[in-house]
Amino acid sequence: MRTEVLVVGGGGTGAGVAWDAALRGYDVVLVDRADLAEGTSGRFHGLLHSGGRYVVKDPVAAVECVEENAIMRRIVPDCIEDTGGLFVTTPDDDPAYGDRFLEGCRTANLPAEEIPVTEALRREPRLNPGIRRAFTVPDASIDVWKTVWSLARGASAHGARILTYHRVIDLHRDGDRVAGARVRNELTGEEFDIEAGFVLNASGAWAAQIAHMGGIEGVGVVPGKGIMIAMNHRLVNTVINRCTMPADGDILVPVRTVSVIGTTDMKAADPDEIPVTQEEVDQMLDDGERLVPGFREARALRVWAGVRPLFQDTKAGAVADTRDVSRTHAVVDHRERDGVDGLLTMSGGKLTTLRLMAQDLVDAMCAQLGDERPSRTAEEVPPGNEDGELYDIGSRLRRREDTLQEEQLICECELIGRGRLEETLRRRGSTNLDDIRRSLRLGMGPCQGGFCIYRATGILHGVGRLDGAEATESLRRFLQERWKGMWPILYGDQLRQARLDDWIFQGLLDVEHLPDGATPPAFAAPRGAHE
Amino acid sequence: MSRHDVIVVGIGLAGLTAAARLAQSGARVLVLAKGVGATHHSGATIDVLGYAPDRVEHPGEAVDALVSERPGHPYAAVGASGVAAALEWFQGQVAAGPLAPYAYSGGLEENLLLPTAVGAAKPTAAAPVTMTRGDLRDDAELCIVGLRGLKDFHATLAADNLARAGHRTRSVELDVTPPSGSRVDATPLAFARAFDDPGFRAEVAAQLVNRPTAAERLGFPAVLGIADPHAAWADLEHRCGRPVFEVPTLPPSVPGMRVFATLRDAVRRAGGKVILNAVVTGARATGGRIESLRAHIGLRETDFGAGWVVLATGGFAHGGLELSSRWTVRETALGLPVSGVPGPGEPRFRSDYLADQPMARAGVATDAELRPLDAGSQRVYDNVLVAGATLAGAEPWREKSGDGISLATGYRAAELIRPAPPAAAGPVHTGAEA
Repeated sequence: MRTEVLVVGGGGTGAGVAWDAALRGYDVVLVDRADLAEGTSGRFHGLLHSGGRYVVKDPVAAVECVEENAIMRRIVPDCIEDTGGLFVTTPDDDPAYGDRFLEGCRTANLPAEEIPVTEALRREPRLNPGIRRAFTVPDASIDVWKTVWSLARGASAHGARILTYHRVIDLHRDGDRVAGARVRNELTGEEFDIEAGFVLNASGAWAAQIAHMGGIEGVGVVPGKGIMIAMNHRLVNTVINRCTMPADGDILVPVRTVSVIGTTDMKAADPDEIPVTQEEVDQMLDDGERLVPGFREARALRVWAGVRPLFQDTKAGAVADTRDVSRTHAVVDHRERDGVDGLLTMSGGKLTTLRLMAQDLVDAMCAQLGDERPSRTAEEVPPGNEDGELYDIGSRLRRREDTLQEEQLICECELIGRGRLEETLRRRGSTNLDDIRRSLRLGMGPCQGGFCIYRATGILHGVGRLDGAEATESLRRFLQERWKGMWPILYGDQLRQARLDDWIFQGLLDVEHLPDGATPPAFAAPRGAHE
Repeated sequence: MSRHDVIVVGIGLAGLTAAARLAQSGARVLVLAKGVGATHHSGATIDVLGYAPDRVEHPGEAVDALVSERPGHPYAAVGASGVAAALEWFQGQVAAGPLAPYAYSGGLEENLLLPTAVGAAKPTAAAPVTMTRGDLRDDAELCIVGLRGLKDFHATLAADNLARAGHRTRSVELDVTPPSGSRVDATPLAFARAFDDPGFRAEVAAQLVNRPTAAERLGFPAVLGIADPHAAWADLEHRCGRPVFEVPTLPPSVPGMRVFATLRDAVRRAGGKVILNAVVTGARATGGRIESLRAHIGLRETDFGAGWVVLATGGFAHGGLELSSRWTVRETALGLPVSGVPGPGEPRFRSDYLADQPMARAGVATDAELRPLDAGSQRVYDNVLVAGATLAGAEPWREKSGDGISLATGYRAAELIRPAPPAAAGPVHTGAEA
């Protein structure tokens, strides 16, 4: 396989890079070792930053957020809910920070306004009534899977090939130049080479590992682990931030049907080893209690950890507290740094600024190639966002009501009809129920797949995609995957739900005694056919 | 304050069994229950012991072996003989109940091996006669019949998995619409009501006759009638000209509703009273005896005087036990001590979903007479007996033992309170084969 540009990594940055480069007319191949947005991008809290989080501590990052927040609302409106945000001074916070916060917002050109506490409590009645100050900001929540798939589909429409479940196992060197990569199809085991004019390393927390394959050492990306918990229902309808220096458990984001609290920040030695600990869960629940009294009595659905790719100057030595590392991004220029052509690495950054990161990376490539092709991503709208309407929480229910009598409801929690499920199975060509979960939110509601996953397995099998052995394996894998995100936070009603699900899968269906499964074929449709 | 000989808290299989059996023995029985639940979630097969940990063929023997190995298991209070007595009583209730001649067949000698909706072969001691023709120990060819509008039963998937295990199986899907439901998305209950109608059964049989389904027996989702399931099943067999059997679907479970209807009717016929939407919130006790229970009913709190209390509120799945976000476990009605809870620093759950889960065995520990015990193995109350999934020491889903435990401990609780056999209980038949 040959391409002009090989993008390594299919998170927000990689998809953004593929979209940006494809729009500039480059021939693009994107590879990811797993599904799109399965790494860091799919494991964050869903906040489209206004920039308020950074105005005091990291003004450069704040300004980037202000600008990119506005652009993202324009180009991927269908992925964004305009929740608005509040910064609140809890009884544990210093009210004087609010003045520095407002000053920082003015400097960053961020439209923030102090409102009376009574007004904040009127808007968000569950908020801690002991808050002392409140400020409005244009925070929003963003559906990362929709965003990344929209960008990837846009790139595909411009000729890019998106290869999920393709792991880079080596970078090819041709003297002082990186000339491509050897990749392995993780589902079939097949290995092959991709010859590339240029390799763009957008693998986030894994960037140092990828660079290392090209013989480049010491790329300063520090994996910073953070955990998040999705709470059932929207405890708040506005993004709630603690008005203080960035700390743990200080953001509560309403995303679709849940609210997500985040996050912690711990340096991780290995981005693939990020277990959730009991202490972290307890800390997060206590932090939630500070924002919304009674938080601990609310129902926790799922917990997960992600790893931020924080940028670190290699010459500055070890970083103790990853929260002190800038949240802005940097292009690592391997020509300058290592005398190696044909490779650039993106380091640092955050989902809110993914478009800018992509633009900067492709700009740097154009500069090396001496190509004058300006980015168009600030204006072009990727697929699914053409009507320019921001997403609103009632839209899925509205669509569902329209087809109530004509379509079987497969997932009651997330209102997914059979037609939409079958269409997604077709379009994605995937046989992995976890991939389908990310595309549709199937099984992400309160019952965590207790009912819909049997149905989805039956449909996947019934439409001829999988035989019984493969369907069985697919079902078991999904059950294991959901359990991974549930067991550390099982208590209260969610434990009750989990036991009911056990009743169904073990007591009623006896899935554990089905004959052995077989590894499902990766894709039933031709590869790269994500139209 | 009203007074009752026995108050049974909970209306799953354990509570209903205790209440019916006590009422039949002449006790004045009141059932307080938050709502219906466990029966409606259950496939309504009586799973006594399916795995220990290998597949169990002779459940009676295996129960006794289990008890000698695990004295903390709920079966220790009843033994195989206690399970057998309860099962015989239960089969009698169904056979003499409002759905008769609908009946259960089976026993503790040998487990049946019944197909599940995903195509596994599940060992169970007894099942409605409408299900037993699916026994996979018989090698007759099967055809699993799907109904297009029923999303909780996937016939081709079940058939494919059965075939993989060596059972000759095919499948067919019918496009029939229950009159009271949506064509594309009808509930099991809507189908069950439709199957009560001979006209609907004729339509189903006609569609089947036109398909190349030469299989020797036909497996339907367990929706073959709710008002008169025996008639629906027998008529369908007649019309299709071959044996028919039901396979449980996802909840809500139609055969579970039949169990509920049968046993609630038994309670009422024997003079027992049932109050739903009643949440027991506490008790008044003196000298190790409960004097009265307090329950939230609607907006009011009401006290009920009780001579005896049978606690059958279920485990974590049905609200009898609750784990707080501070990681403490509470028995929700009376605040009884809970045993088997992993301590601080010990894992509550394991990361492998199908592994043995430490929290699964948590529950109320009892002595041999089902009286709750505290951490020092002292009786908490003399007149409280605990039955069903609230009991500590079992892993009902892994063992496939939940129905047997609920039935046998509910029955045993009643016997312990009223040992004398009833004179006024009316005729009780033993499990009639259909």
